[in-house]
Amino acid sequence: MKQAVLRLPAFIGWRNQASPALMGLALAPIGVILVLVAVMLWVSFQRGLFGTPTAIYTLENYQTILSDPFLYRVLWNTAIFTLTTTCVALLTGLPIAWLAERTTIPGKTLIYAIMTLGLLIPGIYTAMGWTFIAHPRIGFLNRWLVDLFGLESAPINIATPIGMGFVQGLSLAAVAFILTAQMFRAMNPTLEEAAQVHGMSFVTILHRVTFPLALPGILAAVIYIVTIGVATFDIPAILGLGNRVYMLSTYIYIKVHPQGSGLPEYGITGAVGTFMIVVAALLTSWYGQVLRSGHRFEVVTGKGYRPALIKLGRWAVVGWLFIGLYAFVSKLLPLLLITYAALTPYFAPPSLEMMRQLSLVHFYNMDWELVLRGARNTATLVLVVPLLVLLFAFAISWLVVRSRSRARYALEFCAFLPQALPEVILAIGALLLALFVLREFVPLYGSVWLIAIVYVVARIAFATRALNGSLLQIHRELEEAAFVSGLSTLRTARRVLLPLLWPTLLSVWLWTALLVYRELTVAVFLGIHDNITFPAVIWSYWYAGGMNKASAVTLLMTAVLAPLIVAFWWFGRRSQVPT
Amino acid sequence: MISIQGLSKEFAVSGGNVAAIKGLDLEVAEGEFFVIVGASGSGKTTLLRCVAGLELPDKGTIRIAGQVVSSDNPPTSVPSQQRRLGMVFQSYAVWPHLTVYENVALPLAEGAQRVPRREVASRAREALRLVQLEEVADRSATLLSGGQQQRVALARAIAVNPRILLMDEPLSNLDARLREEVRGKIRELAKQLGATVLYVTHDQVEAMAMADRIALMQAGEFLQVGSPTELYRDPARVEVAEFFGLMNWLKGRVVQPGLAETPIGPLRFKGAAAPAGEVLLGFRPECVAILESASHAESNSFPAALRSSMFLGDQLVYHAAVGEQLFAGKCRTVAACSGGRLQLYIDPDDVMLFSAGKRVDQETAAARPSAAVRAAG
Ligand SMILES: Nc1ncnc2c1ncn2[C@@H]1O[C@H](COP(=O)(O)OP(=O)(O)O)[C@@H](O)[C@H]1O
Ligand SMILES: [Mg+2]
Repeated sequence: MKQAVLRLPAFIGWRNQASPALMGLALAPIGVILVLVAVMLWVSFQRGLFGTPTAIYTLENYQTILSDPFLYRVLWNTAIFTLTTTCVALLTGLPIAWLAERTTIPGKTLIYAIMTLGLLIPGIYTAMGWTFIAHPRIGFLNRWLVDLFGLESAPINIATPIGMGFVQGLSLAAVAFILTAQMFRAMNPTLEEAAQVHGMSFVTILHRVTFPLALPGILAAVIYIVTIGVATFDIPAILGLGNRVYMLSTYIYIKVHPQGSGLPEYGITGAVGTFMIVVAALLTSWYGQVLRSGHRFEVVTGKGYRPALIKLGRWAVVGWLFIGLYAFVSKLLPLLLITYAALTPYFAPPSLEMMRQLSLVHFYNMDWELVLRGARNTATLVLVVPLLVLLFAFAISWLVVRSRSRARYALEFCAFLPQALPEVILAIGALLLALFVLREFVPLYGSVWLIAIVYVVARIAFATRALNGSLLQIHRELEEAAFVSGLSTLRTARRVLLPLLWPTLLSVWLWTALLVYRELTVAVFLGIHDNITFPAVIWSYWYAGGMNKASAVTLLMTAVLAPLIVAFWWFGRRSQVPT
Repeated sequence: MISIQGLSKEFAVSGGNVAAIKGLDLEVAEGEFFVIVGASGSGKTTLLRCVAGLELPDKGTIRIAGQVVSSDNPPTSVPSQQRRLGMVFQSYAVWPHLTVYENVALPLAEGAQRVPRREVASRAREALRLVQLEEVADRSATLLSGGQQQRVALARAIAVNPRILLMDEPLSNLDARLREEVRGKIRELAKQLGATVLYVTHDQVEAMAMADRIALMQAGEFLQVGSPTELYRDPARVEVAEFFGLMNWLKGRVVQPGLAETPIGPLRFKGAAAPAGEVLLGFRPECVAILESASHAESNSFPAALRSSMFLGDQLVYHAAVGEQLFAGKCRTVAACSGGRLQLYIDPDDVMLFSAGKRVDQETAAARPSAAVRAAG
């Protein structure tokens, strides 16, 4: 018994300083995550009225999906989509990262600005924009090409798995950039220099030294992007749902929101969700392994080493053309078209005739009550979620970094879990939880707080890692000095820890706020009437066929987003980005 | 002032537990400057952190000024905040976001002691004056040199009027010259304040220069506790003798009281009779004298060949061979040396006898391990 008395405090590391409250804060979000996964599993084995005595426990859901040819078609779509996404993201992000980190290309700050902006501008913007560009019916590019060459049908179809993969790849190129840029930065240039000194040519070095060294980093980036791609919802939803091209995530969506008179098939959803959890978990553990094996190559580098930069000379122009093309195709052009669509009464290819019809009609006609409700809900989420994320993540981080117990590894692992769980899964888990477990006991279904809970657990992983990094930099003796000289735990937190952590806290807050502001997946799955969010308003207009109105709302949303991005640029650019 | 009984602490590491402290007893009197010295990894920091309340001991009792602050039976642990200590950390732990003055004033203003607001400034200034940092009081703490940061940490520790001052290798981050200067100042300041100090270092010279008493720690245990002269001149064990300075060693056998047979011939020693078995005879380099001439063949005098010498300014360290055996010696000059031949003399008073690692030529040596308890009485 005495052992037990001594063990619990030992877990905390500072028995006198840590309180049960701190452990409660750390364990709460992790508990929620585990519950969400458990509910999904539980539902996947049931038929009938879930959670009531009439429910039958069965494997039928799994049998149904395994014998459903439509699902195999969906899997095939998802595979092609993910493959295209990965190729496009990597072929765009990797060269730009190499240019920015290992060459003398001018304007590196601008490259970083463009790529960070790429992370911040939601994928649905790109998707909506590309609908206007290359949709088989309305895409202006298709119309121009048909007119120009007298074609029978539209030559480009963006609403195919490859087309969607292309758009998703453009959107994830920024992620690929961030991941591989980190890798290039961590690479020890003296290894290449050693090869150079010993007489190897540029090409040989690239082939025999640089590439093998970079391989684990690239592979890790690939796995990471595949993990996102397999489960992503927003772009396949914007481009594919209207055209009946389904991915795993959108397949789940139509099972939960069937059109016409169909009933939601939650059991099937649970089974597909379980399948996705397994895939995501495998990918994530593989990712972890690759990252770890990559550390094998890490050679301790001195502090102020200057990487050897490759002189580009005139080739810099080519580099910038590439970057410019990326920025234009993935961000600028889509945004221009969204603006154009928002200001024209109906969508037609841009022409002089259309320019004469520019008007604000959509802004007058939009359902302002709905838009304001969305704005209000989103504002609530932006105010509440980042603060909660910081609170929980701080508790987890502090225990992970400062405690001595082996339990801290378990804690760290659990905090990493949401990273492995796609937002679709968390959303479905929360939906099932609210519908079949909490039900009328805790009426969370249709409430903005249900969305808030999912947002919080989804963002814990990133926040925890960012805070871990900063907390490790703060010598524990700085806190201990405060304890010994008589400062209470709270005062130590306020007077010593918070001032030192301030920059990280601010940047994590900003990132979380931005991501919450633009989030669509969870909002669409969990939003019904009262709890619709700003992005979900765009989605509902779009899904109902009101593309121009959706564009108008998008424009409004961007007007609010812009100052936030500026704020981010001001405060947070030096800190970590959520990868 | 500090009283520790049966203190033990283990750490869980991958692949089992390491015992950082193994059943230590320690008594430190009020106003005493007590130094714990030992190689790195011997458990000094852990001991200090147990006293500070930053580490929870597995077993044992710690009392400060008679009050139990930590015990396993019944399980008690007074929080660090309430132990009323001052501590100087190895990293200094000077709060980087505060100025020098704020670093010292924060514990006064917001610590457990609740110093009245109007006293805070005067006490902080007074502490800064004692460490001669008044001029830089309003500078950011991170803009200071290492030596100045160390003094900020010291000022912060003494400002709260601690019952005990704990210091963990406060000088190890300073360069050698500064270290010598500062160690004198710290001792002076401690004595001026009448503070009880528990001071940790790995440097034996620092330990001897500063301590009233020293405990030599190895692998979580005290090898010997005593005054600097005791530890240097009367080490109870081979490890203690070697830790505090260079030793010359000879294997030998006691043939009669006061005389041992060694590879270089018979060697006299002063101590009490020892068992007639294998012993280790040791003496320090400065106890080796060079005789003017080899003419009068005294006992304990050996002809030797000079092998190398190193001039260090204040002294000259040389190595000389007697037969196969190499000895280190210290003197001011080797002027007496001619043609590389020397006559060495070893005073029987300076020869120490060890058997199985323990001192055997002194009855006091056997009683030595309980020296700590004696001091408590
Ligand atoms: N937090 C810890 N976790 C695991 N082992 C530790 C920890 N702190 C100290 N130790 C171990 O305890 C022993 C004593 O360490 P320490 O007290 O720091 O020694 P010293 O200060 O004398 O160098 C060492 O073997 C060290 O590895
Ligand atoms: Mg230490």
